Amino acid sequence: MKYWKPAAPLAAVLICGCAALQNLDVNSMTGGRVSNEQFQSATKVATAVHHGVADISESEEYYIGRAVAAQILSRYEPLDDPALNLYAQKIVQAVSMASDRPSIYRGYHVQILKSSEVNAFAAPGGFIFVTTGLLKLTRSEDELACVLAHEVAHVAKKHGLKTIKTSRLTSAFALLGTEAAKNYTSSQVAQLTDVFKGTVDDVVNNLVVKGYSRDKEYEADKFGAQYARAANYDPRALTAFLHRMEAADTAGAGGMFKTHPKASKRIDELGTLSPSADYRPSPVRERRFKAAMTL
Amino acid sequence: MMKKTRFWILLLTAALGASAALAATITVLVQSTAVRKRPQFFAPAAMIAKLGDTFDATGPDNGWYKTGRGYIHQSAVSSKKIKLSAGSTVAGGGGATAEEVTLAGKGFNSQVEKSYSAQNASANFAAVNVMERRSVPEVAVLEFLRKGGLLPREDAQ
Repeated sequence: MKYWKPAAPLAAVLICGCAALQNLDVNSMTGGRVSNEQFQSATKVATAVHHGVADISESEEYYIGRAVAAQILSRYEPLDDPALNLYAQKIVQAVSMASDRPSIYRGYHVQILKSSEVNAFAAPGGFIFVTTGLLKLTRSEDELACVLAHEVAHVAKKHGLKTIKTSRLTSAFALLGTEAAKNYTSSQVAQLTDVFKGTVDDVVNNLVVKGYSRDKEYEADKFGAQYARAANYDPRALTAFLHRMEAADTAGAGGMFKTHPKASKRIDELGTLSPSADYRPSPVRERRFKAAMTL
Repeated sequence: MMKKTRFWILLLTAALGASAALAATITVLVQSTAVRKRPQFFAPAAMIAKLGDTFDATGPDNGWYKTGRGYIHQSAVSSKKIKLSAGSTVAGGGGATAEEVTLAGKGFNSQVEKSYSAQNASANFAAVNVMERRSVPEVAVLEFLRKGGLLPREDAQ
C-alpha cells in the first residue's frame, strides 16, 4: 500500500496529453524512485506497443500504388465506359467509407479492365481493378459491392505492402531523410528509384502472378463482408457470387481461379453471414445495376 | 529497491497508455478527410481537414477521435509526436518516422515516380491519372447510398 501513497501526483498524468509526458520531470514526481531516463525508456516501449510500427508512410504507399497500377494498366486495357466506371467508383467509395480504413492518402479508385479473364486486383494506395469477365459473373449491385469490398479489404489490411521484401525497406530507410533538402540530389533519386522499382516489382509479382496467400484472401473475404454489411449491402451476396465462381471454375481457367483459393473453401471459411438491421432490398439498386451493366 | 523501481515504471507505463487514449494532438496524414458531426461514416461533414492540420483530440473510441470541430477517423491521422524542421524537410537523418516522411513529401515521392516512369516507358501513368480523376464528391456518394436504400431510415430523410 505504501507504494500507492506518493502516486497522487501521477493522477495528473492520467489527464495529461501524451505529448506532455515527454517533458515530465518524473525523477522529482516520484521522489527519485524512477530516473527520467528510466521513464523515457518505458515511454518508448509503451508508445511502440500502443501504435505499432509503420514502415511505409501514407504518401509512399500512394506512390507505390500508382506505379503498381501503371504496371497493371500496361498489361490490361482499361475499359472506356464512363458510366460503368463511375458506377463502380461510387460503390467502391461507399464500401470504403464503411471500412476500418476509410481515409487513405488520396482516396480509393477503381478501373474496369477489358478482359474476359475473371480477375480483380487491389494495389496499395487504394487502386482497385476488376475485369469485365468478373463483372459478367455478378447478378446484383450487392454482389458487385461485396466483390469490391473484398478488394477494399486488401487495401485496408495493407496486404500489398506486406509482400514487399523487408530488405528493400531497410535500404529505403537508409536513404531517407539524410539530407535536409527539399529535393533529392540526382544520385539519391537514382538510388531511391532502384529501391522503388524493386518494391513495385515485389507487389506486381504477388498481385498479378502469384496472388496473395490463402490467409490474406480469407481475411479479405471476412472484412469485405463486414464492410459491405456496414454499408447496408447484403453480405450474403458474397456467398452467392462465390457459388457462381465455383460453377464457372473449369480446368485450366486462369485469373482469379489460379491465384485465389477454391471458391468452395472460401464459402466454408466465411461461414454464415447476416445483413445489418438497416438492410433492405431496393428496386433502385436493381434498376441501376441493370442500366450500368451493358457489357 | 529494484522491485520498487519496477513498480513505478509499470505504473507510469500504465498511466501513459491510459492518457494516450484520453487526450492527444493528432495530425492529418491524408490529403483531405471529413471531420464529421457524428462518429459515423455517413454523418454530415462539419469541415474538411487537410494534410498537416492538427487537432487536440480525445480517443480514439471505436475508430473515431473527438475534436473541438467534430469527429475524425483514426485512419486519417497520427497521434505520434511529429518533428519537422523549417521548409518541410525531414529532420534527424535516417530516424525519420513514416509520418514525418508523409508530411515532408519525402521518401518515394513524385520525384522518384518521374525517374521510375522515365526508365519504364510501358508503365501507363496516364491511365492512372484518368482513374484518379474519377473520384466522386462525398455528397454524391451519400446521395447514391440514399437513393439505393443504403442509409439508415432516420438518416435517409
